[in-house]
Amino acid sequence: MNPPDPDLAAAELKAMQDSIYREKILRARRQTPEERLADVFELTNSVFTRMHEGAMWQAGISDERQGWDIVRKRLARLRQVYDAGRFVNHLPAALQ
Amino acid sequence: MTIEQLATAVLDACEKEGVHHMLTGAFAHGLYGIPRSTKDVDVVLSVASGNPIERVVRRLEGVVQFEQQVKFDTLTWGKRLVGESTGMPPFKIALFELFDDPFVQSQFQRRRRMFSTQIQRETWLPTPEDVVVQKLRWGRSKDLDDARDVLAVQGPETLDMPYIEKWCALHGTVPRLLEALAGIPPLD
Repeated sequence: MNPPDPDLAAAELKAMQDSIYREKILRARRQTPEERLADVFELTNSVFTRMHEGAMWQAGISDERQGWDIVRKRLARLRQVYDAGRFVNHLPAALQ
Repeated sequence: MTIEQLATAVLDACEKEGVHHMLTGAFAHGLYGIPRSTKDVDVVLSVASGNPIERVVRRLEGVVQFEQQVKFDTLTWGKRLVGESTGMPPFKIALFELFDDPFVQSQFQRRRRMFSTQIQRETWLPTPEDVVVQKLRWGRSKDLDDARDVLAVQGPETLDMPYIEKWCALHGTVPRLLEALAGIPPLD
């Protein structure tokens, strides 16, 4: 049996990615701006609930407050990565 | 607390203080692009009424715990203060002070009013063109995806592309714009 052709595999993967993205675009186009904005609210509440449930399950705890503390720490780490080098506490002297 | 309740509290604080404002971040992107979840409520505040951040922070006492110190972004040197909702979940809120950057000024002047059924309030949001320019300017991976989403969902043919191209040329982000446009798959 011949080994898989890497170029063909990459092309198939790209076609699949484009197809998934295309469906997302077309779905969003069918929505009104208000419906899309409503989705942001709904998705956000849902994702936080899932993060909380996941943290409690992973830590094996039933205390909801503890679960939110874990979520908070994880989000803080994510923000550190996302904002790295983007913010400083003071303006440069030349701009003050 | 839900993200709707937090957004409502922030917008009410702005209204009561008479601070002109504009929702940005994922809410602006979601309005024109592919909706996604967010971790924070981002709001730009006009400085026309004086000390907007202090006044909005005071109004949100008990609802949001803010950091002690404002920070400055290293791209435009705009001022930002971050807080976290006191109730659970721990949503973040970021207050940005409007400043004299020509694009930021233009974006704020062009903002549009819309009614959100979720929060039962009118709010102000940037135009799709300004969301694209801002996201390309920030240039983090998620920002670039967001810019491409807005271009794809709105369609370049419906957008004021000369306006977008003008700001991208000034910001040196034309290559990012071209890459975003090239990333839109055929839709027919």
